[in-house]
Order: sequence, then structure tokens, then C-alpha cells
Amino acid sequence: MSFLFASFRKDLSRWRQDPLAVLLWLGIPFLIGGIITAMVDGGGGAGPTGVLLIHDQDDSLLSGLVAGAYSQDQLGELIAVEQVSMEEGTRRINDGEASGFLVIPEGFSAAFLEGETATLTLKTNPAQTILPGIMEDVTEIILDLGFYVQAMFGPEIEQIQDAAAGTVPDDAFAAALAVQIQGKIDTVSPHLFPLSFDVQIIEPPPAEPQPDIALLFLPGIVMMALLFSAQGMSADYWKEREAGTLRRLVSTPGLLSRFVYGKALAAAVVVAMLGGITLALGFAYHDVDWNKFVPSMVWITISGVGLFAWFAALQMLFPSSKAANLLTTILLFPLLMMGGSFFPLEVLPDWIASIGRLSPNGFVVDRLSTEFTSANAWTFDARSWSIVLVMTVSGLAVCTWRLQTGFARR
Amino acid sequence: MLAVDKLIKQYGDFTAVDTVSFAASKGGVFGLLGPNGAGKSTTINCISGLLPPTSGHISVDGADIVKDGKKAKRSLGIVPQELALYEDLPAIENLKYWGMAYGLRGAELDTRVAEVLDHIGLADRAKDLPKKFSGGMKRRLNFGCGIVHKPGVLLLDEPTVGVDPQSRQRLFEMVEAERDAGACVLYTTHYMEEAERLCDSLAIIDHGKLIASGTVTELKAQLSARDVLQLNGDFPDTGVGGLIDTLQGRGMHDLELISQADGALTLTLSSASQYLPEIFEGITAMGGSVSETSLRSPNLETLFLLLTGKELRE
Repeated sequence: MSFLFASFRKDLSRWRQDPLAVLLWLGIPFLIGGIITAMVDGGGGAGPTGVLLIHDQDDSLLSGLVAGAYSQDQLGELIAVEQVSMEEGTRRINDGEASGFLVIPEGFSAAFLEGETATLTLKTNPAQTILPGIMEDVTEIILDLGFYVQAMFGPEIEQIQDAAAGTVPDDAFAAALAVQIQGKIDTVSPHLFPLSFDVQIIEPPPAEPQPDIALLFLPGIVMMALLFSAQGMSADYWKEREAGTLRRLVSTPGLLSRFVYGKALAAAVVVAMLGGITLALGFAYHDVDWNKFVPSMVWITISGVGLFAWFAALQMLFPSSKAANLLTTILLFPLLMMGGSFFPLEVLPDWIASIGRLSPNGFVVDRLSTEFTSANAWTFDARSWSIVLVMTVSGLAVCTWRLQTGFARR
Repeated sequence: MLAVDKLIKQYGDFTAVDTVSFAASKGGVFGLLGPNGAGKSTTINCISGLLPPTSGHISVDGADIVKDGKKAKRSLGIVPQELALYEDLPAIENLKYWGMAYGLRGAELDTRVAEVLDHIGLADRAKDLPKKFSGGMKRRLNFGCGIVHKPGVLLLDEPTVGVDPQSRQRLFEMVEAERDAGACVLYTTHYMEEAERLCDSLAIIDHGKLIASGTVTELKAQLSARDVLQLNGDFPDTGVGGLIDTLQGRGMHDLELISQADGALTLTLSSASQYLPEIFEGITAMGGSVSETSLRSPNLETLFLLLTGKELRE
């Protein structure tokens, strides 16, 4: 057991002497991940994306209500309303600085109350398509609504207008007006709100929160750090062979299996450190439930050691370190592509995603994606954990076998 | 105690070590001499457990290297021909790691590592990385890693190849210190002067076969007092046999032809300097000529030449 510890300590100390390699294994995924996140996330929260300029020549209660309608509720997240003069509005819409310019003419309120025609002018930005379209639709809805309100409550609105122009109306006036309005509502409500059928409102089950696209990239970016480090560290068997230390080891009573496990343990520390940093930043940025952090760490650490072991086993099958490095590097990129590191498995074509999920890294990424995007706590899936454990143990066994069958003796 | 008995190592049809037997005892240095490719390193590799013998037995402190490898290896220390160090691990950590590989622990390990650092003259550079060391310092650390566990049997495979004279001297002293501490040292080299200085007994190996063995004195005695005479020049192939017969007839009874190649004749003969005029005369008479002459006293190099017909460094 203590030789295992000696082997572990020796490799950890050696990795500490090579901070550049460790930084590169971390830096490359960070760079790629940062670019991807910036591309799909836009780099900030969603603010209003269009500007509607309004020039209100009427300056009445009604025109104020129309202007305010554009910034209500979710519409306000899309459209920012700015009151401007005629000249500024004209200039800015012509310069393409706004999505639309609405002019409410003088006498709009009077025309509305008297049921006469009033013309609202909406000038839109031809360089844009979606936001000006929304503004046109909203304007039409406001005008339709105005038509029906005017048709039903025209006299009452006129009374309010008259009262507002003079002295403060007394309570009797307000009560009479309220009774009048309620009477009209009672008259039309059987038609507007028929009770001829019973509406049963069934609440749908709470839907899984839709993850943001950038979150789907996180497992792949974590895996990228693991794959780079696993492939890089696996070359250490060749370094040891070329340094003559493997030959020397064979002539000692120290067990080769313990040497392999010690190496794997040191790799686990490096993997946990790289994966931990990537995960922690990802969790913080995407607001992932921190209760999933520890199981995610255990998952990626075991998987990382498994990938390291298999890369090392592959390296030891080749006749030279150059061939081994070249071929494992060549293998790295298809694995990254298909295993969801460059593009999430969710957005890959189905047939590629199916193959990708069968690859060791794709399997690990798929499981992480499922857990990150689920609203539930991390689920212990015995089958998945068994697969990863078997991959790791078998990889280490192959490494030991290769050392015992000649790799260390040359 | 190291005992090698009828060791054979074959690679397919090629026999690298052919029925080699020898024994080395504690408190002594046993030299294994031979030119490059003679089978020295293969023998060492079999002893250290790196290569499985095709047949034969190797016993290290009474434990068979094949049947009881772990016990045998615990008594073995190896100083390989090529450096076998972690260049990115401090010197002290290198020693600790190899000490732990041999089962040393705790205070015993720390004490022994400190002793070895002192012994190899690297105590003040203990925490430095070997990649910053000179070649000689690396060689010393390589040696230290082989002795950190106080091995009963120490294998040194051409430890002075590529080493400067000063470091070589230091290595000799370290080998002698191990011998004096009671270790059985097996020392392979193709430098005769090293063997003559360090070794109590020797075995000479060529083409995988042991061609002579014994103490240095015993081996030198095989040469009697014959000098080695090397003549360079032009010698008709057909005349050399007749020349040897003629010269033997003139009183040079122990004259012997060792080799004839590339315009060089190598002969052994007692009191060769006395007979030089007759030898030159005989060569001229057979139609040859001499451009260069060298005369050497008998040594192990001469013995090797006599036994194999070639120089040790060929």
C-alpha cells in the first residue's frame, strides 16, 4: 500500500513541476467555452431590444393610456418607449436609431369620444422586421379595443372627461356613474361571460425549466478539460519508459499494479482540480443547483481517471512514443466532436448523437447534461455508475497487464 | 552472494547468453568483461529480473530470481548503464521513491536517504531537480538510487560510460565503499583498467560465452610472461605461416600468431624486444615491410586478445 502512496506522491510532485501543462489543459476548454458562451448567451441579461418613439400632440388622458400600453408586462421587455419631439423622432427613425415612430395627433381624445375618425401615424424601420411587426400588431389591438370601449362606454367616458375638466365631481356623481356602468356590464355579461358551460381549470404539471442553451455546453466543456488532461497525462508512461525508470522499477520488489494505481490516484487529483474549477465556474454562471456539485465532481473524477487509464493503455500498444501521441491526439478530436464537447449532444443530428452517447466521453457528458438540466436532485443511477467504474477498473487492469507483458522491460 | 548457473538466454535462433556460470561472493567485486554485444547486459538483465532466462538458474542471497522474485529483488540493487531518474523530481524525492519501492519506510527511510545523499556528495543539492545537475552529478544520483536500500548484491552495468575522469574516480570510490560495507558487487565493463583496479575476480565473456574466469592474478598467469607485438605494414597473406615456422626455428619457441588483419600482425612472444631484428629480417625476406611497431607488457587486454583474437573495444 505504501508503494502505491509513494507512486502517487511522486507523480503529484512531478505534475506540480509542470504547471504550464496543467494550465493549458484548463485554458483551452476555458477559451473555447468562453467563446461559445459569449456567442449563445450574448454576454448579459435580456433588456428591451427595440425602441418605440412617440410624439404625443394630444397630450390627453387617453393618449397617455395609448402610449403606456406599449410598455405593459412582457411587451415592456421587448419595447422601450421614449417620448420625443416631432423633429427628434423624425430624425432618429430616418437614421435607423429606433424600430418605430408613433405620432398621436392633436384632437385624438375628442375624436375618440365622439366616434369620429382619428389617424395615428406609425412609421417603422425598414431595416428591421420583427419588432416593427410587433408594434404594428399592438397598435391595431389598441385601436380595436378603443373601438369597443368607445361603443359601450362612450357617454360615461364623456361624462368623466367633462367632470375632469371642471370641479372635482361629488360622491353622488361618482356613485351614479358607477351604477350606470355596472348596469351596462350586467346587460352584456351573459353574452360576454356565458355560464352555459362549466370551465374546469386543470393545472398542468410543473414543466421542467427550459435550460438556457449555454448550459447545454457546460458538460462538454468540462469533458474537454478532462480529455485534454487525460490524454496529456497518459503520455507519462512513455516518458517513464524513455527515462529508464520503468526498467528500474521492474527490478524492484514494488508491485507494478500499485505503481499503476498510484499514477491513477495522482491523475484523479489533477482531474478533480481541473474539473472542479470548470464545474464551479459553470455552476456559478448558470445558477445550477449546488447540491449537484459533489456528485458531479465524483462523476467526472472517476470518469476522468477511466479516460486516462484507457488513453494510457492505448499509448502502450504503440511501438513508439511519437506514434502513440500522434494517434491518441488524432483520436481526441472525433471524440470531442461526437461526444458533445464542441456541440451539445442535444443539437447534434440524431444519428451522430446516438454514436456520441456510446463513446465513453459522450456517455459521461450525456449523464451530466441530464442532471444539470433537471429540476430534481441528482439521481443515483446504479447502471451508469457501474459502467463508469467498469471502464475505469478495466483501463487500469489493461495498463498493469501492458507493463507486466513487456512495455516496462524494454 | 550471487550465483549464476548454466544461464541461457535465447531470442528465437539467436543465443545471446550461452551456458554462463559464475559466482560472486560478499565483500568482493566480480567483473564481467567483454566487448559491446558480448552478452554482459543480457546477463545483468536476467539477474535483475528484467528478462526471463531461457534456462538455467540465478540465485540472489539464496533466493531464485524466477521462483522467488520478490525476495531476490529485495536484495538486489541496480545501477543501470543509462540514467534511470525522474529529472523533474528533486534528488531527495528520487531517493525516497526508490527506497520505498524496496520497502523502506518512515525514520529508516529518512536516515538512509540522508546517508546516501552525503555519500554521493549531493547533500547540499538534495532539493534541486536532477535536470539542473551536471552529467557526473546525475551519475552519482543514479548510483545512489541503486544503493539506497543497502542491497546485498549490487549490479553495476557499465556505470562509467560517458563519465568524466573526476566523476569516474568518485564512482570507483563509491563502489569500493559498497564492497567494504560487505556488498557483493557485479561490475560489467569493457574498460580493462577499471576491471584491474576494482575487481577481485573476473569472467570474460564473448559472443554470449564465458571464455575465461578467475582472479586477476590467475588470469594474468595464463599469459606467462609473453609480450604482445603488433606490427603494421604490408604482409603477403601466403607468407605469414612460413614466417612463423621460420622464427620458431630460430629459438622463438613460444611465438604465437594471434591475429592477421588489415595490414596488421599481432604476435605474442617472450622477451620480444630481443628478437625484433630477426623478425624484421624474416618479414623482409618474405617480401613484406613494417611501417609501425608496438610492444606491450601482458595485461588483461592481452589476455582478451589472446583468447578472442580481437581488441576488447572492437
